[in-house]
Amino acid sequence: MSETTERPPGALQLLFNGIVSENPVFRLALSLCPAVAVTTTVANGFILGVAVLAVQVLSSLTVAIARGVIHPRVRIPVYTIIIAVWVSAIDMALAAFVPSLYAQVGLYIKLIVAFAIIISRLEVFASRQPLVPSFWDAVGMGLGFMIALMVIGALREVLGSGSFFGIVLFKTKPLLFFALPAGGFFSIALLMAFFNALERKLTGGTAKPAAGGHHG
Amino acid sequence: MSDLVHIDGAPRPKADPKVIAGIAMNLVLVCAVSAIVLGGVYVGTERYQREARLAGERSAVSGMLALGEGAEVTEVRQYLDAPKREVRYLAKEYGNESAPTREFVFGLDGSLHASTAGAVASGASGAAESAESANTAEPAGLEELGRLFVAKQGGALAGFVLEGESRGYKNRIRFFVALDSSLAVKGVRVLEHEEDPGLGAEIATPVFRAQFSGRTPDEIAALGVTRDPMPEDWHAALSAFASSTGGEAPAEWRTLMDRERTKPIYAVTGATISSRALTRGVKGTVDHFRRRWALLAPQLEGEGASR
Repeated sequence: MSETTERPPGALQLLFNGIVSENPVFRLALSLCPAVAVTTTVANGFILGVAVLAVQVLSSLTVAIARGVIHPRVRIPVYTIIIAVWVSAIDMALAAFVPSLYAQVGLYIKLIVAFAIIISRLEVFASRQPLVPSFWDAVGMGLGFMIALMVIGALREVLGSGSFFGIVLFKTKPLLFFALPAGGFFSIALLMAFFNALERKLTGGTAKPAAGGHHG
Repeated sequence: MSDLVHIDGAPRPKADPKVIAGIAMNLVLVCAVSAIVLGGVYVGTERYQREARLAGERSAVSGMLALGEGAEVTEVRQYLDAPKREVRYLAKEYGNESAPTREFVFGLDGSLHASTAGAVASGASGAAESAESANTAEPAGLEELGRLFVAKQGGALAGFVLEGESRGYKNRIRFFVALDSSLAVKGVRVLEHEEDPGLGAEIATPVFRAQFSGRTPDEIAALGVTRDPMPEDWHAALSAFASSTGGEAPAEWRTLMDRERTKPIYAVTGATISSRALTRGVKGTVDHFRRRWALLAPQLEGEGASR
């Protein structure tokens, strides 16, 4: 993350960055715990992805606006409070106004407070960039997370439950292993290896492998 | 303070009171703004949240018992008064805020201590007074035992819905159990839970919940949980049963039910704790209700007849 306070990159570049070149799951290897726990089906991945996208955008905007006010030495607890406020507000609003939707997504919303991807984007990007680039970075990262979860969910749902988006493909459950948490780690590893190989092929072997290292 | 050092052994720089004050002010400001925002959202949504929850409960009660037009539902709130070793029941027409509340108090040994029906309470004025106070204020300091709903259709007992709670993997699981007039389970519905999506949350799926349906109170009392996989034919019969809307239960379910009614609940794969939690909760709720209803039924019925 060398580009800090130089001229901010454009919207398209930020979107591409979030979805492909710095994909939160496959490249940055962030928030793997929820990515494993939730992605047993495509629909689950999609719902969690939308929720993360919303919280990421709102938190990034808040931090980009308030970054002059936040004391640098307590910025991490302040980011956590900002995320928690947005998550709680969304949780209460959904429970009050769309109870039928809340019955499906309520479980996912509360998990988001502890997502490493959101706080890392606040620290790395939104706290150092103006409003507009922060918005596009948040949208790109949120979409990248959502797409990654849906890809993992698709692999696990087809292999583990024999269905896709709830539509039954095979009568039997081919490999139940993939529906269980351990299978989630294998799915992510397989997909990460696949995307690394794909990138190496496309760029002629010059690309560096996924960063990794972080968890939570 | 001077013996504090950094992890690498370098002496810790002296804290500047001005910096500390700045940080403290910053955190106070952030927390105050957050509290105002959250408080505002809560005040703005609390009424709608409660209405949404009540509407959900109302449709669950009438849906689980398949109640038609003109059904009468009585809501009975139950409280444990531990110091006095008493259980208090507050009965009221469901969904009617202005309806009068009847109160029955039983000792833990099952003896009737007080009743607003007039037999034990001191006259009609005392009854009215007690009903009024129960109407306006929740009994303070008493442990809530969950509510129960008694439904009548055309004067005949149509069934019960019991509210129950159990400790799940992360947080409490709140559920309804519907019973028919012979106290056999008609259905189970999970109202609130925080089990993991894709794992424990599967206890809220129709097929898992349908495993409780059709069992008698004695079979529920003996119910266990197994980690064996659910037989394929039973899974198919349960999903047919779960998707049948009212009316007669599917024939395949009825034949297989005779084989399965003494078998344990088949746990969700990878979520034995959540499966056990719901099963334990349903068992406890049905068991308690069976004993309480034996006491409560004559009181509620006698009241209805004298009206």
